[in-house]
Amino acid sequence: MAAVAGRGGLGEKVSPQARGGFGRGRPLRANTAERPAIWRWVVLLLAGVFFLLPLIVAFRFAGIKSFGSVISQSGFTSSLGLSVRLAVVTTVITIVLILPTTVYVHLRLPGIRRLMEGITILPIVIPPVVLIVGVLQIAPGSLKGTPYLLSLEYVILAMPFAYRAIDAGLRSLDLKTIVEASNSLGAGWLNTLLRVVLPNLTTALLSAVVLTVALVLGEYTMASLALFQTFPVWIYVNSQTSGQISVAASLLSLFVTWLFLMAITVAGTRRSRSKGGGSVTLFTVARQETRGN
Amino acid sequence: MTAHITGNTTSNAAADGTRQVTGSRGTSVVLQNLSRAFGATKALDGLSIEMAPGELVALLGPSGCGKTTALRIVAGFEIADSGSVLVDGKDISTIPAAKRDMGMVFQSYSLFPNMSALDNVAFGLRMRKVGTVNRRKQAGELLDMVGLADQARQYPHQLSGGQQQRVALARALAIEPRVLLLDEPLSALDAKVRLQLREQIRTLQQRLGTTTLFVTHDQEEALSMADRVGVMSQGKLEQIAAPDELYDHPATAFVAEFVGVMNRLPGELQSGGMVTALSSTVPVMNPDADVSPGPVDVLVRPEGLAMQVIENGNGIVTTRTFLGSVTRVGVLLSGDVTVQIDKPSSEAAALAPGTSVSVSLPPEPVLVTHRR
Repeated sequence: MAAVAGRGGLGEKVSPQARGGFGRGRPLRANTAERPAIWRWVVLLLAGVFFLLPLIVAFRFAGIKSFGSVISQSGFTSSLGLSVRLAVVTTVITIVLILPTTVYVHLRLPGIRRLMEGITILPIVIPPVVLIVGVLQIAPGSLKGTPYLLSLEYVILAMPFAYRAIDAGLRSLDLKTIVEASNSLGAGWLNTLLRVVLPNLTTALLSAVVLTVALVLGEYTMASLALFQTFPVWIYVNSQTSGQISVAASLLSLFVTWLFLMAITVAGTRRSRSKGGGSVTLFTVARQETRGN
Repeated sequence: MTAHITGNTTSNAAADGTRQVTGSRGTSVVLQNLSRAFGATKALDGLSIEMAPGELVALLGPSGCGKTTALRIVAGFEIADSGSVLVDGKDISTIPAAKRDMGMVFQSYSLFPNMSALDNVAFGLRMRKVGTVNRRKQAGELLDMVGLADQARQYPHQLSGGQQQRVALARALAIEPRVLLLDEPLSALDAKVRLQLREQIRTLQQRLGTTTLFVTHDQEEALSMADRVGVMSQGKLEQIAAPDELYDHPATAFVAEFVGVMNRLPGELQSGGMVTALSSTVPVMNPDADVSPGPVDVLVRPEGLAMQVIENGNGIVTTRTFLGSVTRVGVLLSGDVTVQIDKPSSEAAALAPGTSVSVSLPPEPVLVTHRR
């Protein structure tokens, strides 16, 4: 019943009344306006310096010219291509595994939700090396030696984020009621899932996708341990020979990833706004609001 | 397979491929000895109800009495441990919810947030493979019927609670359901909207003649809308009767006290079906109740007690509540018993708190129950 806005630490619960009656309010943010504006600028400035200064320095170190030569470097295209392929494969597997599981847990086994949260957080706690060994033990032989083995590992790494994003999305829906409404109107399970549940989870799914893609595009440890030259590995290897080009490639990858995430976020928000949802951000999930009676 | 409309009846292809005609009129529903336990709690304990075609039956009872469980079993969302549900004489226990042709309106807002009001109403028709043009036309007509033609393009979050429930009602009626199931559809709304929607639901239901099962904990809602009201307690049906019958001739003390306001007076049960209270001896309305002669409680409605202003009477007026044409007067009787008595407001002016009155029992049959 209660909608949850902003998982990932916030866990702000909104009572049904609040949803129906004065759902426009955002309780936790209500008092921001009362704080002196100057402190907001100070914090913003400090954070800006902290995040932007290294980028500016890196940009000056690399120089404009190295950006042009990044693309012609050997291994650039293949490593970037591999990373993108892995991102796609990982995202598909993650969504296909996590989405039905989470929906099922919400509908039929709400009692084990806490347990699920505990289980899904494990990949963050367990060192990557242990996970690799574990995946190697159970992975089908045909995958061993191919880079797609990495996808299986990334699925596990992405699980905590994907699960939380989708879980938050489901919490913001009155899932049981809309599923029963759909059933009573003659929709079977497939129709209910495709036409009623999924369209209302676009925001949550986008969050899951964004997080998974960002994770795969930036992952270094596992790829380098498994001896595959993904884009982050290529950047590191290249830095041994040409520091400037490597830094330029890093900046480029940062920019491209950022652009990609922005595109998903903006597109998702536009889509969700037109249907009454909220904005798409990495952890905040749309909350359906009503105007009361 | 095409669908076409003829008069009040839509012939369409059912999901299982068989061609069936679902008229909105004339479906009988029988709940037969339904039982359902959740762990050690018996939510339903042998519930049986027969609903005539086109009838609106309200199930009324306190929360946890099993009324919602009964409705959910009819809808197909719960499975009875024993007993069966017959629709037009056929046992539907094994038919999944999606194929039962039952329109349901839920307590919480149940519209699909991703669809406009029109698409919500058209959803059931879409599932029945009605073509786009036809289903938009029918959905439009239904929205018009609930007075929301102008809101067809709005999304649920743009509608008020009352409007959402009206769209939900239109959506449930769009499939021309054999049975309409209403699960406290008004309880999330404010009083004024509730009253309007109550009348609208009843008018529509009578016009369409759809057999309707309505679950509520609000006695006013049940009494004002239903053809018959079934009062439930602890998984069992206490009594099912027309509203006036239920009010005037409650079968049990539970019904008497749950429906309307009821006074409890200490009395003495005599043999021979008579009871003495407030110094008068009157007939017992429920002589077959399991109460033995001796001290009992007598149940009387606020309008069932007589009262006169008199010096040194047996009671003192303590409160006075204006309810419009009548005024409810609280009177403290000797023995620390407080009763509520209704008087026409014109007569109540003389009954200021502190006034001494004489309260008596007219010679009408009364209900008796165990002394509390």
